Amino acid sequence: MLEINNLHATIEGADKQILQGLSLTVRPGEVHAIMGPNGSGKSTLAYVLSGRDGYEVTEGSATLDGEDLLELEPEERAAAGLFLAMQYPVEIPGVSNMYFLRQAMNSIRKARGEDEISAGAFMKLVKERAGLLGVGQELLKRDVNRGFSGGEKKRNEILQLAMLEPKIAILDETDSGLDIDALRTVADGVNRMRSPERGFLIITHYQRLLDYIVPDHVHVLAKGRIQKSGDRSLALDLEEQGYGGVLGAEFAEVVA
Amino acid sequence: MSALRNRTIEPVPAFAEALERLRGEAAGSSGRALEQRNAAFERFQALGVPTSRVENWKYTNAASFANRPFALAPRGTVDSSLIIPHFAGGHKARRLILVNGRTIPQFSHLGGLPAGMTVRPLAQVLAETPELVDRTSVNDEPEHSFEALNRALVEDGAWISLEDGVALDEPLQVISILTEAESAFMTHPRHVIRLGKDAKLRLILTTVALGQADSLMNQVETVEIADGADLTIDRTLEQGQGRSAITRSRFVLGSRSRLQQTTASIGGSLIRHEMEARLRGTHSEAILNGLMMPRGTEHVDTLIRMHHEMPDCQSDQFYKTVADDRGRAVFAGKIFVHKDAQRTNSYQKNDSLLLSDDAEIDAKPELEIYADDVKCSHGATCGDLDPASLFYLRSRGLDEALARSMLTFAFTGEVLERIADESVEHIVRRMILSRLPGGERLAELG
Ligand SMILES: Nc1ncnc2c1ncn2[C@@H]1O[C@H](COP(=O)(O)OP(=O)(O)OP(=O)(O)O)[C@@H](O)[C@H]1O
Ligand SMILES: [Mg+2]
Repeated sequence: MLEINNLHATIEGADKQILQGLSLTVRPGEVHAIMGPNGSGKSTLAYVLSGRDGYEVTEGSATLDGEDLLELEPEERAAAGLFLAMQYPVEIPGVSNMYFLRQAMNSIRKARGEDEISAGAFMKLVKERAGLLGVGQELLKRDVNRGFSGGEKKRNEILQLAMLEPKIAILDETDSGLDIDALRTVADGVNRMRSPERGFLIITHYQRLLDYIVPDHVHVLAKGRIQKSGDRSLALDLEEQGYGGVLGAEFAEVVA
Repeated sequence: MSALRNRTIEPVPAFAEALERLRGEAAGSSGRALEQRNAAFERFQALGVPTSRVENWKYTNAASFANRPFALAPRGTVDSSLIIPHFAGGHKARRLILVNGRTIPQFSHLGGLPAGMTVRPLAQVLAETPELVDRTSVNDEPEHSFEALNRALVEDGAWISLEDGVALDEPLQVISILTEAESAFMTHPRHVIRLGKDAKLRLILTTVALGQADSLMNQVETVEIADGADLTIDRTLEQGQGRSAITRSRFVLGSRSRLQQTTASIGGSLIRHEMEARLRGTHSEAILNGLMMPRGTEHVDTLIRMHHEMPDCQSDQFYKTVADDRGRAVFAGKIFVHKDAQRTNSYQKNDSLLLSDDAEIDAKPELEIYADDVKCSHGATCGDLDPASLFYLRSRGLDEALARSMLTFAFTGEVLERIADESVEHIVRRMILSRLPGGERLAELG
């Protein structure tokens, strides 16, 4: 479903090559984990796929069910079924979380030619899903992410994911900032969403999340490309040996 | 004088013709009252119409909007069905209706006012006791062209007075309707508002232009808030192309009194609102909030002179601006802390959103402080919509126009929430949304 082929991307204005020939295929039902050192380009990959301004794709392609993602506006990508749970969710003062969720749902439905969800049906759904993710009523009423704690923001991202039911979900460090119990709750939430039709791309630094959300494939992203792929044992190896140990001395953290 | 003359231009003859027509016709246009009108008109002619070389008019070309051959506003009224949609303040609110600056008693609802509260057409007061109207002369500033013109050509307005200790529980709404018309017209309404000691009033000032016309509304308000009195004003101004409004509000506050005004200026070729607040007692508070939203070629200008004359008072100016297309907004706010006004707290903030490259915002915050123990701050920000926020909304499926409108609406929220009356808040919300692409889809926001 998600096919990334030889993707090269630079930061506009900075003349900096971040992605340097990245290829990756996620098939329906699969969960892929991406690990990699700080600054290796994981978030850049997530942003390029979801269409944020400021990046230039200089080579390669990315398609979702055969449709060229890179040609689409961010909202069209969302309608096509792509969702990004961001590493740093944005605060939107003045827009209530609940209202925003409903507007997002209806925008996507509309773009797909479906009927809008009724206010009643929406309320029922949001209450149920928020409850499962430990997102309280009070957070739903507040402005989007405004003043939310780090962990609350991450839960809120996963609530959006649960409401918007994308085909492919990219989770960028959703685990960082979550307490031990919250990690469990969020992982359960993600696991409930696993289905034969849906793919996941989970960016994380820590093996712990992958104990809960067991990936089918693990990739190591470094220097702008996938350096190594394997099954879940690769994550365990990384935990033990570090990037240098797994990928070779040139990838080891240089400590001055 | 000659220096002044260089900075101003001569009024068109239409103003003198208007005075001629009023003579002996309008309320308070004979005897001593006429002498006062003539004197005011002479002052107006001597002062002339300010050009952009006058400091307070630097960004607003008054002459091009106001110095044109307007005739006095046509008499007559409009169908009540056109007024009712603008009712605010709940079904118990009292209402005074003006059409083209003249009160229309049959549409007004002023029954059951508490003893000691008077709401009358200013024309009645001008006819019977004109000397009452100008008992407050706040003339320690150079005389003002448009105020002088208003004094010369005033026909009617609202006279609102509350004796000591009187409170109206429900809001009082003054609705000013400007009609459509074939030829250019002007009106010079005058509101006199007086709250005695410990009096309390919630006032809603609604100005609406119906249909098309080329018009000038030159309004003056003198507002006295005595010791311990409390006045809340929610003000909306909704006009269209070809409409100009120049409003000058002068507030004088006694000790332990409070003024809170929130203004939404939305629509009109020119909107100029000058406010002068004088804190003349101790422990008082003046709050002036506002929203300006010019688009097309609209021009909105707010000028505030906040005078702290006595110790231990607080003031706050909080204005937000959204400028689109070639719209232009001006915010000139000045805080004067006089030498006796120790322990003054005075704040001013003006945040602006520029939605197009051709829009323009001029912010001119100023402080003039003669006391040493004061806390004053002013800040102005100006920017475009936050790209990270836009991306966040769009990545959740909202199209760009809707995402922009949602963020723009959210930007105005802090002014909306300062509106005292809930029904006015709803009206302003609707006014804002009607100006935003896809606004109807945002109607239930919040
Ligand atoms: N606007 C920018 N200008 C210059 N460099 C940038 C910009 N944005 C990102 N970069 C750089 O691009 C590189 C990749 O960043 P990216 O955020 O994709 O890393 P990451 O793998 O997600 O790291 P982390 O694990 O710390 O989240 C980094 O070196 C970063 O400093
Ligand atoms: Mg990152």
